[in-house]
Amino acid sequence: MVNKVQINNSTLSVVKADVTDYVIDAFVFYARNDLKLGSGFGNAIALRGGPSIRKELEKLGPLNVTEVVMTTAGDMKAGHIIHANGPKFQEENTNQKLKTTIINALKIADAKGMGSVAFPPMGAGFYGVPLEISAKITIETIADFLSSGPGIKEVVVCGNDNRELKALQAALETLKQKAA
Amino acid sequence: MNNGRSFKAQKVIDRMGQKLTRQMVGSLTACVHCGMCTDSCHYVLANPGDPTYAPAYKADKIRKLFKHHYDWTGKVFPKWVKAGSVYTDEELEELKDTVFGKCTNCRRCTVNCPMGVDLATFNRMARGLLCHVGIMPEGVEYVAKEQWEIGNQMGVLKEDYIETIEWQEEELQEEMGDPDAKIPIDKKDAHIVYSINPREVKHDPRSILDAAKIFYAAKEDYTMPSEGWDMTNFGLFNGDDDLGGAVASRVYDKVDELNGKKLVISECGHGYRSTRCEGPNWGKRDIAFEAESSVITMLRYIKEGKIKVDKSKNPGAYTFHDSCNNARSCGLTEEPRELLSLVVEEFREMYPNRAENFCCTGGGGAMSMSEYKPERLKSAKIKADQLTATGTHTVVTSCHNCVDGLNDLIGHYKIDMEVTQLVHLVANALVM
Repeated sequence: MVNKVQINNSTLSVVKADVTDYVIDAFVFYARNDLKLGSGFGNAIALRGGPSIRKELEKLGPLNVTEVVMTTAGDMKAGHIIHANGPKFQEENTNQKLKTTIINALKIADAKGMGSVAFPPMGAGFYGVPLEISAKITIETIADFLSSGPGIKEVVVCGNDNRELKALQAALETLKQKAA
Repeated sequence: MNNGRSFKAQKVIDRMGQKLTRQMVGSLTACVHCGMCTDSCHYVLANPGDPTYAPAYKADKIRKLFKHHYDWTGKVFPKWVKAGSVYTDEELEELKDTVFGKCTNCRRCTVNCPMGVDLATFNRMARGLLCHVGIMPEGVEYVAKEQWEIGNQMGVLKEDYIETIEWQEEELQEEMGDPDAKIPIDKKDAHIVYSINPREVKHDPRSILDAAKIFYAAKEDYTMPSEGWDMTNFGLFNGDDDLGGAVASRVYDKVDELNGKKLVISECGHGYRSTRCEGPNWGKRDIAFEAESSVITMLRYIKEGKIKVDKSKNPGAYTFHDSCNNARSCGLTEEPRELLSLVVEEFREMYPNRAENFCCTGGGGAMSMSEYKPERLKSAKIKADQLTATGTHTVVTSCHNCVDGLNDLIGHYKIDMEVTQLVHLVANALVM
């Protein structure tokens, strides 16, 4: 299976990893509109990052769907966190909103000079975007953005388990075949 | 809006069509409203004047949607079959309070239904339909997200899990007086891969140590996995088959990766049912290894002479509470009794028992739904009376969820009893 593609001067790869425990300039957290960290990856951020992240978030938000903000990552392995308020639970126009959210996350990363960014499969799992659709939109949207020649040199999409990794690999394979 | 229906209500109706199995349709059409289920439900028994707790009444809240949208009788005789729909988000919220707040999916009504109606199965489906559109109790949301994203129900980070195992390994070495005693992690080709409940890491690490002592005494070739170790599965409770499949697959994938010969599931009713029975269906896959409850493993060790036990080390009288998932859904009723009788001085039955036992009232994820706690504890009167009637000082159960449910009601009804699990009693009875 394909795990990495080159797009102009950037790479797009998929790995099996915990996105909140990855060495990277910034990772994307699929956030709530009120920017409360909550459970799941939010809990991991709170535990691994320490209280400074919550303090930064108190001054930000709430966010409309597709909006993003960036904070530092406290004591985590990453330098920054991009809190992205993506669509949730089958809301209307989910696919388009998901795409816009990913673009906004990449734009803020680029604007803030992040050289590398990690994503989860956006909206998959708890928020109910079907995994294959999430993988397709996540991979294709990132690839489109990287083809425009941004400053970001590395994007990694982290699958939490084999199931997610396989879906991401399949989406990357399709992308590669289309480009060939 | 669609036919005057909210976006979410329409999504719920559409999703129902994708989730109807032959088993569910059978249950949705078979009810003759005979009322046999009524007295089987602990909610009804604790609320005799309130018909809204009756299983058939609760089932009709879901059944009317099926009749209206997916059954021909609802199109031809809608009034006769009480077909109906949902139109607003407020109606979905009301349905939430019924399917999450008035039923623990214990299946006692199911085993008492002469028509074979399995309310718990389509109540679970209804939970899943609501979760699909984001309507669920806050605690359900919290726990489901933990398991999707961290990989276990209690948000235990990988580094904390590993640290806890290493801590218990040090305890094992001290208690056994053997500096070489190990709790292996990610050992390849082991005979047993031992999976646990995250509650053991977070609240009851002694159960990890006690299991390790038993494996040590039996000279078992086993390992614990570094990931995919949570055999619990909140997908059973919130009706999310995708979560159920993902969680079960993480466990199965790890056993495959380690080339383990057998998966042993520590004492947990819903974990045993999910991992051994339901997981392959949710995950749409087969598993190439054997999966068994640790109760059966411990019993076999005694029968095969791999460990020796002295029941006088556990003096006094003990009773046994059957976990609903173990007893009613998996038939695991005799092995725990046989094991308990071998490791305690006196075992006294609780009545009714086995498949007719009453729920601890913490089942179906109820312990995570604090908004329904008063109703849950009121319904726990039935269990409290059962416990008291045994006249014992300790109730034993093979389920972590039941431990919490029973402790909660014992505290609420001020009963002088303790709760424990078989792993503790077996470890305590070991003759080294």
